[in-house]
Amino acid sequence: MSLELENLSILKQGSAIFDPVNLVIRPGEITTIMGPSGCGKSTLLSAVSGSLDRAFTLKGSILLNGRNMGDCPMEKRNIGILFQDDLLFPHMNIGGNLAFAIQEKISRVQKSQIIDKALKTAGLEGFEKRDPSSLSGGQKSRISLLRSLLAKPSALLLDEPFSTLDQTLKAKIRSFVFSQIKKMNIPALLVTHDPKDCPEGGMILNLNKEEG
Amino acid sequence: MKRFLLIFLSLILLSFLSQAFAQGWDDIEKKAKGQIVYFNAWGGSQRINDYIQWAGQVVQKKYGIRVIHVKATDIGDVVSRILVEKAAKKLQNGSVDLMWINGENFKAMKENKLLYGPFSQNLPYFHLVNTKKKTLKFDFTVPVDNLESPWGMAQLVFSYDTNRVSKHPQNMSDLLVFARKNSGKFTYPAIPSFHGTTFIKQALSELIHDPKILSQKVSQSDFEKNTRPLWDFLDELHPFLWRKGKVFPASGSQMVSLLNDNEIFISMSFNPNSVSNAIENGELPNTIRTYIHEGGTIGNAHFVAIPFNSSAKQGAMVFANFLLSPMAQARKADPTIWGDPSVLAIGKLAGPDKALFDAVPKGVATLTADELGQSLPEPHVSWVQALEKEWLKKYSK
Amino acid sequence: MIKIPVQDKRIIFPVFVMILFCTTIVAGLIGTILPSLNYLPVIGHTQVSLSVWFDFFSYPGIQTSIFVTLFSGITASFVVVSLVFLFISVSHGNALWKFFEKILSPVLSIPHAAFAVGFGFLIAPSGWLIRLVSPLLTGFNTPPDWILLNDPAGISLTIALVIKEFPFLIMVTMGAMGQLDIKKTLFVARALGYKKEQIWLKILIPRLYPHLRLSIFAVIAYSLSVVDMAILLGPSAPSSLSVLILKWFNDPDVNFKLLASAGSLFLFFIVLLSIFFVYLLERSARVFLRPWITNGNRSSFVTLFKPMISFTGICIIIFTIISSVILVIWSFSWQWRFPDFLPATWTLKFWAKGLVSSFDPVMTTLFTGGASAFLGLLLTIGCLEYAVNSNQNRIGQNRIGQNKTLQNKAKNYTKYIHYFLYLPLLVPQITFMAGIQLLLVIMKMDGYWITLMGSHMLFVLPYMFIALSATYLSFDKRVTDQAIFLGRSYTRVLFTIKLPMLLKPILFSFAIGFSVSVAQYIPTMLVGAGRFSTITTEVVNIASGSDRRIMAVYALIQQCLPLIMFAMAIIIPKILYYNRKGMQV
Repeated sequence: MSLELENLSILKQGSAIFDPVNLVIRPGEITTIMGPSGCGKSTLLSAVSGSLDRAFTLKGSILLNGRNMGDCPMEKRNIGILFQDDLLFPHMNIGGNLAFAIQEKISRVQKSQIIDKALKTAGLEGFEKRDPSSLSGGQKSRISLLRSLLAKPSALLLDEPFSTLDQTLKAKIRSFVFSQIKKMNIPALLVTHDPKDCPEGGMILNLNKEEG
Repeated sequence: MKRFLLIFLSLILLSFLSQAFAQGWDDIEKKAKGQIVYFNAWGGSQRINDYIQWAGQVVQKKYGIRVIHVKATDIGDVVSRILVEKAAKKLQNGSVDLMWINGENFKAMKENKLLYGPFSQNLPYFHLVNTKKKTLKFDFTVPVDNLESPWGMAQLVFSYDTNRVSKHPQNMSDLLVFARKNSGKFTYPAIPSFHGTTFIKQALSELIHDPKILSQKVSQSDFEKNTRPLWDFLDELHPFLWRKGKVFPASGSQMVSLLNDNEIFISMSFNPNSVSNAIENGELPNTIRTYIHEGGTIGNAHFVAIPFNSSAKQGAMVFANFLLSPMAQARKADPTIWGDPSVLAIGKLAGPDKALFDAVPKGVATLTADELGQSLPEPHVSWVQALEKEWLKKYSK
Repeated sequence: MIKIPVQDKRIIFPVFVMILFCTTIVAGLIGTILPSLNYLPVIGHTQVSLSVWFDFFSYPGIQTSIFVTLFSGITASFVVVSLVFLFISVSHGNALWKFFEKILSPVLSIPHAAFAVGFGFLIAPSGWLIRLVSPLLTGFNTPPDWILLNDPAGISLTIALVIKEFPFLIMVTMGAMGQLDIKKTLFVARALGYKKEQIWLKILIPRLYPHLRLSIFAVIAYSLSVVDMAILLGPSAPSSLSVLILKWFNDPDVNFKLLASAGSLFLFFIVLLSIFFVYLLERSARVFLRPWITNGNRSSFVTLFKPMISFTGICIIIFTIISSVILVIWSFSWQWRFPDFLPATWTLKFWAKGLVSSFDPVMTTLFTGGASAFLGLLLTIGCLEYAVNSNQNRIGQNRIGQNKTLQNKAKNYTKYIHYFLYLPLLVPQITFMAGIQLLLVIMKMDGYWITLMGSHMLFVLPYMFIALSATYLSFDKRVTDQAIFLGRSYTRVLFTIKLPMLLKPILFSFAIGFSVSVAQYIPTMLVGAGRFSTITTEVVNIASGSDRRIMAVYALIQQCLPLIMFAMAIIIPKILYYNRKGMQV
């Protein structure tokens, strides 16, 4: 289940905002895209996830497991995304947030078993009934990732997910996120401006703005 | 012998007719059973609303008719609606089955053929009505023609605070003297409100050189000459009115609070019992009494009518008949209930019915029938518009 | 088989609303334009001519009437807008502002007529303020003959309009503020040395103004065409134009209907002209105010007036609340004459009577209000969802606040919907309702509850949209995107994530819609064909009589209904989300 970007470029009012991107990300691999602010990193992610703003036009193709994502709507792509804000739903408890992501039509008991297991892996056992806003920044980040992974994405996009965390937390969360992705064996695309965020051995792509 | 035969035959004919008549009314009562009558009437007085509610309850029990009081702020709204229905060719199931009406509104409905009837002559209690009163045959000088059924009488009375006014005015010139001495303590509602127009009609009837002119259609050429004394009077009066004549109360109802708060010392009303009623109700203090001018004051009547497109005409007629009954009229005349004078001729009433009226308490501030005397007739209906227009030109700038 | 994605299907909401509003108003206008040209066959007028307009302009006192209408309407609008801007500038963020945020809902729920009755009694020469100092300080044993109420120039009406419109505009501005980054702007500009008041006046309010524009137009339209407040507080000889038109409609002489039609068209014309004038003012202000905005002055005269402005704002709220208090006292009084400050004798009679007789009208009001607000909510959310998704603006930003630029695109779209939604607020009710009445009677749709509810919804929708759109549109798109990925279904996300998160603003908007329905008088009267009495028709009816006490009871019952809804809008989220700190904001 690899994620491929073939000659992908995004046009705004006729002119491309960065050079065409060619990328193949294999399952379990994390590719990082770096570049200065405003170079279009987030726009690129929105194109891959399927929520590109109407002001932009897409050129090239996005292939997930060989299938062209061209005119596939967002809800059908199964490409997850993680933001720098955890965006946990404030009106549900942690358990509710996680349960929302579970697709399979299984019983409540089975669902809570899955949730329990997931919380264990993050070291947050017993947090189901907690109010999201009572959690610390690091805890919220972990829950957010768990939630995205519970939805069994075929690929995961990460939009500067660690930028709001402080240094000590960053390292911890980073390793947690990377290990989970490897465990789930899905391709991941990370966008950041912090070189320290790049995983060991992962490919790094610099996004360049087209001149002229 | 021949004469005897004639009398005998006419008696038989009469009994046939009354039988047929009674049969006719029985049919109407039968048809009326189960009908819903939407009675559109002014809803500004809780007392009147309560009375209508009582009447509806009695009629429900006795005749199986359901009366729904549709409260109207201004009966003109209702006329308006019926007109729209006519324009839309809604000839049945009209929204109004019976309405409380008189004067110009009646004229409008009659002229635009919005009324059902004539019907009041068929109401069994109609024969008790005091048909000697001209105002029951001519509504603001427009012939009634049995197109509306009488409900109550009205006469312009003035009210005053006995604590503040020792000797009340006897006529318009006295009123002017009073106003000069007590600046700002008298007023009348803005034209074209009902009470306001009546006040200037009253003033005109007192000041005009020949009151008989008023019973005739207004003549444009002589209008200026005939009404000169009225405008002179008002020109003199206005600077001494409440708010110096720059502001007028919107309606007669507003004047009650003004009197209560002593913003004015003299007010007016169209119901001789309304002051007693208000005292009873705590709206006015017990020091208020009523009076009329020595030459008499204008009086008229109010009625109920049935629109052409009602689909509960029988129910409406039965209800209108009930409103004419001695029981309903006596209760209506009771100042502790409403205090609206009856349209029935006391002389025509049988013993027990007459007793009902004898039992009606006299309002503490109400003038006796003798004191009220014979009311003055309304001027010809054409005078209303002419006077209103001229008043607006002069004073509504 | 062409697959239509969900987004496009949502277009039925704004389209439905546009069609509903356009047809209603156009139909109504035709029903007014024809009689104004002397075409009203039912009373025998079939010759189209301009004679009616001639009569209109030559009606005695018409010039004064028009002048008074323009004076009170435009002055009130200018004063209230300026006052709102100044007040926000000096009070935002401080204790007074926080107090305002809490008190806004109940104050907004007070119906216009009830307020006018109480306010009238407060300032009348026989009213409470004078009674407070009589006869001790003034020696008055009878009320002075001063023109404090119903003055010929309409000043008392203007003041009352300002008091009533002030909370409404504050509410709208509060909603619009969510669209801007207030904190950041204040921080940056204060660091540059500007005082808070100046930042508001020079930067924030000009940026907020486009969001407020249509609401300001609505205020202008209302001030020019108000009827109930004008009857109670405005001049009587001559009255303002709207009151005159109403008198003509109800005049026994049916020919006056033609005059009424011409008058109401003229009133509409005045409204359009005033709105256009204000729009021109806005455009020229952009040019003329620029030097003032960029002059770099660090001191502002407004700072001197700070206490006065705050005081004025407080007075407005106090006056509004006192007007209700007065009604409460009246409702329990038996005898209350001048110069007594409190009633001489008290009673419960009127409450006993009022509660019983008002039961049926209250039920009608609750059902009609609830239904029209609910339907209004459906349509509002439908239109907003369409606006939000029509541009496919989703993720792509990674800084808080930056996704606002994409939301601006949504706002462009909603601008066009806005115009249609505001239509019922900009055309004076009396202008098109009479035409609607005729149409409904022809179509045999008058007198049905559905029609009544529909006519209420015409006015409920715009206000609900005003109340909800700003907050709804600033909902973080990334949350919905995240949720759509997780939940796989747009409708599931809408009903389990987005709407529950927006519960508070949604309930608030519902309460607003409900109170708008409660306040409707002319639609109930004209469309209901006398079959429906709401608490408001009861209040207006009893107000045409003389008994202030029973009037106060009805007015207070009328006031309670929206108040209950607002209370629920506050309590329900608290109960549902008592243990969710993130939902307490």
